[in-house]
Amino acid sequence: MHNRALPYLLTLPSLALAAIVIFWPVWDLIQISLHDVNRFGQLRELNDFANFKALAADPDFTAALLRTALWTVLVVGGALLVSIPVAMILNSDFYGRSVARVIIMLPWAVSLTMTAIVWRWALNGESGMLNSALRNLGIIDQNIQWLASAATAFPMQVLIGILVTVPFTTTIFLGGLSSIPDDLYEASALEGATAVQQFRHITFPLLKPFVNIAIVLNTIYVFNSFPIIWVMTQGGPANSTDILVTHLYKLAFRIGKLGEASAVSLVMFAILLLFTMIYVRLAMRESRA
Amino acid sequence: MSPKAKRTVIAWVLLSPLIVVTIFPFAVMFLTAVKPRTEVLSPTWWPSTFMWSNFSDMWVATKFGQALLNSLYVSVIATVGAIVFSIPAAYAMSRFRFAGHGAFRQFLLVSQMISPIVLVLGLFRLLAAWGMIESTTAVGFVYMAFNIAFTVWMLQSYFDTIPRDLEEASWMEGGGRWLTLRRVFLPLGVPAIAVTAIFTFINAWNEFVIALTMLRRQESYTLPIQVFSLVAGRYSIEWHHVMAATLLATLPVAVLFMWLQRYLVRGLALGAVK
Repeated sequence: MHNRALPYLLTLPSLALAAIVIFWPVWDLIQISLHDVNRFGQLRELNDFANFKALAADPDFTAALLRTALWTVLVVGGALLVSIPVAMILNSDFYGRSVARVIIMLPWAVSLTMTAIVWRWALNGESGMLNSALRNLGIIDQNIQWLASAATAFPMQVLIGILVTVPFTTTIFLGGLSSIPDDLYEASALEGATAVQQFRHITFPLLKPFVNIAIVLNTIYVFNSFPIIWVMTQGGPANSTDILVTHLYKLAFRIGKLGEASAVSLVMFAILLLFTMIYVRLAMRESRA
Repeated sequence: MSPKAKRTVIAWVLLSPLIVVTIFPFAVMFLTAVKPRTEVLSPTWWPSTFMWSNFSDMWVATKFGQALLNSLYVSVIATVGAIVFSIPAAYAMSRFRFAGHGAFRQFLLVSQMISPIVLVLGLFRLLAAWGMIESTTAVGFVYMAFNIAFTVWMLQSYFDTIPRDLEEASWMEGGGRWLTLRRVFLPLGVPAIAVTAIFTFINAWNEFVIALTMLRRQESYTLPIQVFSLVAGRYSIEWHHVMAATLLATLPVAVLFMWLQRYLVRGLALGAVK
């Protein structure tokens, strides 16, 4: 190539933009988190990590942190348990397969905000259609106030989280399943292997790299997921469905504790970087294999 | 019964719980959107008449048109900007070997994972410092910057599949790099560019947290924020309007998405295999 500077000139503008929008805010967040700061965001003197110490002492933060872990594990795990059998069914040959595939992919096509708004209405205690459907089926005889307490709101949010995570996860597994040669199943069937044995010894081991990728990517997405909880309950009632992102949003834009909010941001940023490094390592291992 | 018919029954029976739960919110959305106002709060499923006029009433009552324009505006800025910045980068990544190539790709991968919510306080202060809170233009630029990792990644994956022979043939014939790029390479890349652009558009169209934070006045709301504002902190909620607005805001991009979904999967998969 005659011009050695050319590739750099071509990549620089996009690199600069992508970098500014990440590093400028991160730098700003570091500044705020290390200083005393007033409601209007003016920086005062360094405060010896007081914001981070305040976080550690704040029961709301610890509760949100634990709930984030629970939320992430339940949604990612639930989506995984649903998606593996669904992908296996969709990978088999049956009438109406393409219709089934379209229906199962539908939640992916709708934004989380809109999904959450619809569910907020469907779960309405007085006139929501879930209550009326369950009453008509004779499953319940009194309306349930789904979103009025964390005991029902949070499990519903987890279920909705699973529902919207299934399409992406199933897609990954479908890609994985289509890479498994049919000969393996035919050969093992000739040897008299049962379906369960085929799953344990062929499908699952060969699907495992895809399972790993799905777990890491979903963990990142779910950990960051804001609209479902914010739109349905705004972390309420009484902060009982708060996860880190909603806690962070309240600290920053409701209560105006900018120092603590930026400390939460940085803690989350660090956790995300850790997940991402795991992902990069997995992806690299995949591409070498 | 033939084996395939048997498999069909088993497959649909096994999938039915998931299918019911998946279709349920869509049924709720559609049926509420077309119910007469008086029936919305009575928990019956089927409306007595289909009130298609709900959509036009909602359009006026919720100022849907303004929000639609705002959404279009930010999404177009994000899409055009991200594509214009990404094509040269993706071309360079696909056709040159240079020091920092791998590092740039890793940086893109990592930055794709960082969600705006983690940075939203810093971004808010950045925009505030420039006096650009309420500016839909600024929001469009933030979306653009956040989508660049995705667009470069997708474009490079596709550009890598365009055979080099054609470009080399063009160079042989004396076409310069620029002429070859314009006449040979870019025309072949048009489908990939179109698909990537549409996904960027959908990303921007659906974005919630940045718009929620930066846009505080109704005139500057994008659709997700506008619809959310019909629900949040209201004493009485006109649910048939909310559902009509949700349906209208969702339908066009959902159709686009379903149509192009396999390209998204292929593009991301190509990137992962590389």
